[in-house]
Amino acid sequence: MLPCDPASALSNEFPARVTMSVTSTMIPFTPAATIAQLNARISGTGERMMMFAHGFGCDQNMWRFVAPAFEIDFRTILFDYVGAGGSDLASYDPVKYASLDGYADDVVALARAYDMTRGVFVGHSVSAMIGLIAAKKAPELFSKLVLIGPSPCYIDDGDYIGGFTRDQINELLEFLDTNHMGWSRAMAPMIMGNADRPELGEELTNSFCRTDPEIAKQFARTTFLSDNRADLGPLDARVLILQCREDIIAPTPVGEYVRDAIPGSELVILDATGHCPNLSAPDETIAAIKAFV
Amino acid sequence: MTVGAGDARVDIDFEDLFETAPCGYIAADRDGRIVRANRTFADWIGVPAETLAGRRFADLLPIVGKIFYETHFAPMLHIQGSFNEVALDLVTADGRKLPVIANAAAQRDATGRPTAIRFTLFISAERRTYERELLDARNAAQATVREEREESELREQFIAVLGHDLRNPIASIASGVSLLMKEVTGERAQMILRLMDGSTVRAARLIDNVLDFARGRLGGGISLTRDAREPLEPALRQVVSELRSIAPDHQVDASYALVEPIDCDRVRIGQLLSNLLGNALTHGAKDIPVRVDAFTTPEELVIEVANGGAPIPPAALDRLFQPFYRGDVHASGQGLGLGLHIASEIARAHGGSLTVRSDAAETRFRFAMSLPLQS
Repeated sequence: MLPCDPASALSNEFPARVTMSVTSTMIPFTPAATIAQLNARISGTGERMMMFAHGFGCDQNMWRFVAPAFEIDFRTILFDYVGAGGSDLASYDPVKYASLDGYADDVVALARAYDMTRGVFVGHSVSAMIGLIAAKKAPELFSKLVLIGPSPCYIDDGDYIGGFTRDQINELLEFLDTNHMGWSRAMAPMIMGNADRPELGEELTNSFCRTDPEIAKQFARTTFLSDNRADLGPLDARVLILQCREDIIAPTPVGEYVRDAIPGSELVILDATGHCPNLSAPDETIAAIKAFV
Repeated sequence: MTVGAGDARVDIDFEDLFETAPCGYIAADRDGRIVRANRTFADWIGVPAETLAGRRFADLLPIVGKIFYETHFAPMLHIQGSFNEVALDLVTADGRKLPVIANAAAQRDATGRPTAIRFTLFISAERRTYERELLDARNAAQATVREEREESELREQFIAVLGHDLRNPIASIASGVSLLMKEVTGERAQMILRLMDGSTVRAARLIDNVLDFARGRLGGGISLTRDAREPLEPALRQVVSELRSIAPDHQVDASYALVEPIDCDRVRIGQLLSNLLGNALTHGAKDIPVRVDAFTTPEELVIEVANGGAPIPPAALDRLFQPFYRGDVHASGQGLGLGLHIASEIARAHGGSLTVRSDAAETRFRFAMSLPLQS
C-alpha cells in the first residue's frame, strides 16, 4: 500500500526535497531598501510632502507634466509600484500584490521611509483606491487626498454601474497577452533601469511604462477585479475627486458614487477628456490640485 | 509633383496617395478626435469617410481596446510622442473585429505638448492568427512539459517507495532462511535454502540499485558516507562470499592486496563490487573462473572483475553503463540493467572511474579511484 505522501515515507532514505512553493521575498524594512525597491525619488523644497502614485499601465513618468509645478511649495515624491518602471522586479510577490492592500502597504512603507506626516497623496486611477486604503491603515500620513479618476469597482454589480462586465475584463487580460507578444524579456533590465535616460530610450520603441508581461497581467487582474467599495467611508483626511469628461475607465457616475460615499469629499469635473488628465490636461489638473492644497 | 528621370518620371498625387494608400491614415486632434480619415480606412471598417470626423479614435475600438487605449496608448503618446506596433482590433460597421497593427505619432508644440495625433494602421489578420497560434503552441508546450515532469516525478517516487517497502519483507525472508539453515539437516533442504539465500541477496541488490536509480532521478544523486577508519577488505570479502553462495557451481577466485586505511564509502564500494561480480557471474562462461582482484598502489585503489566467455560487442560497449541497458544476447537476461549503471555512478561519486575491456580472452571491468597522498 502506498502512503498518501510518497515523499514522507522516504524521509530516512532521501534528502529533504525542496518544495516548489513560491517563496515570498522578505523585504527588509529599512527606509533605504523601500526607496530603492520602489525606485522612489524626492525633489523640491518646502515643509510639506506630496506623494504622486501612478496607475495601471504606466509608471512615475505619468507625473512628468504635473509634479514639477509643486516643487516650489512641496517636497514631491515619485515612485514606481513593484513591477512597474524602475522598481525592483525581483521583489514582486504574486500573493502580496493580489490585492490592493499589498500596494497600500508599500505606500505606507514609502511614506514612513520619508518620515511623512500630514502630507498630500495624489493618486491616479487605481492608485486613488490604494491611497484610500493606505490612509485608513496609517491616518497620520496624509491630511489630504487627491483622487484622479477613482473607481472603487470596475465591474457592474446590481445597481452599481462600474462600466464593465467580468467577461470584458477577462478579455482585457487576453488582450494584454497579444500586445506583449513582441516584448522581449531580455530587453527588460535595460529598459527598466533606464527609463529616465532618453539616450538609451531612443533606440527602443515604447520604452516608457514598460512592465514585465506577467506582472502587467497580474496588476490588471488586481486593478480591474478588485471591489473596494467597502473601503469608502468617513476619513480623517480631506478628499478631492478629479473627474474627467468622457472617461471610459472611470465614468462620471462612478466619480459621483465615490463623492457620495466619502462624507465631506469634493468632486471637481475637469474639462479634460479621457482617463489621464495629468497627461492630457496638466495645467487644468495642476490648478485644481493647487486650489485644494 | 514629378520625380524620377527619363521615361520613369511619375506624377505623385499626394491627395490620392493619402486616400488610397494600402494602409489606413487618420489625422486626429490632441485628444484623439478624428479630423480626417482616409478612404482605405473608411472602406475597411465600412463607413463613409466623412462620417468619421468628430469621432474619437478610441470609439472605433471594442471595449477592451478602449481600456488599453486609455491606460497605455494615450499616455505613451503624451509621454514619448509616439507608440508603435500596437495590436488592436477595430470594430467594423457590421460589428466584425478587424485586427490591425497601429503606429501613432504626436505632433508637439515647443513645450512638448501634443497638438495633433496621426495614426497609421495596417491590416494584420493573418499575422495575428499566426501570432496567436504561436502563443497557443507555446502555452500548450509549457503545459505538456509541466504535466510530464509531474508525472515522471510521481513515477520515480512510486518506484522509490516500492523499493523501500520491499526491503523489509526481503530482510525477513533472509533471516528466516538463515535460521532454518541452522535447524534443518536434510542435504536437499540445505541446498534449497542456499538457493533461497542467494535469491534474497540478489533481490536485495536489485532493490538497492532501483532505489539508487530513483534517487538519482529525483535529484538526490548518490550520496557517500566515507569512512577511512574501518577497513575495506572485510566488506569486499563479505560481498564475494555472498555471491559465491548464489552461484556455487561457478568458481570465483579473489585476491586482496589492500593497504588500509582507504577513504571511501565501504558499503558503496561493496555495492559496486557486488554489481560487477553479479554481472560477471550472469554473463561469463560458467566453466571459466571469475577473477576478483582488489589492490592498492601508492596512488590508487583498484578493483578488477574479469570473466571469460563471449566478448561484449564493440557497439554495445558505448551503452553499457547507461540505465536499463541489457545486452540483447541474453534473452533470459535477469535484472533491470541497472547494475553497471549504478556501479559507474558509485565510481563517479568517488571521483574514480569504471572502465571495461573485452576481447576473446576475457571481459575485465576496472574500477580505479585515486588515493590521497600519504604524507
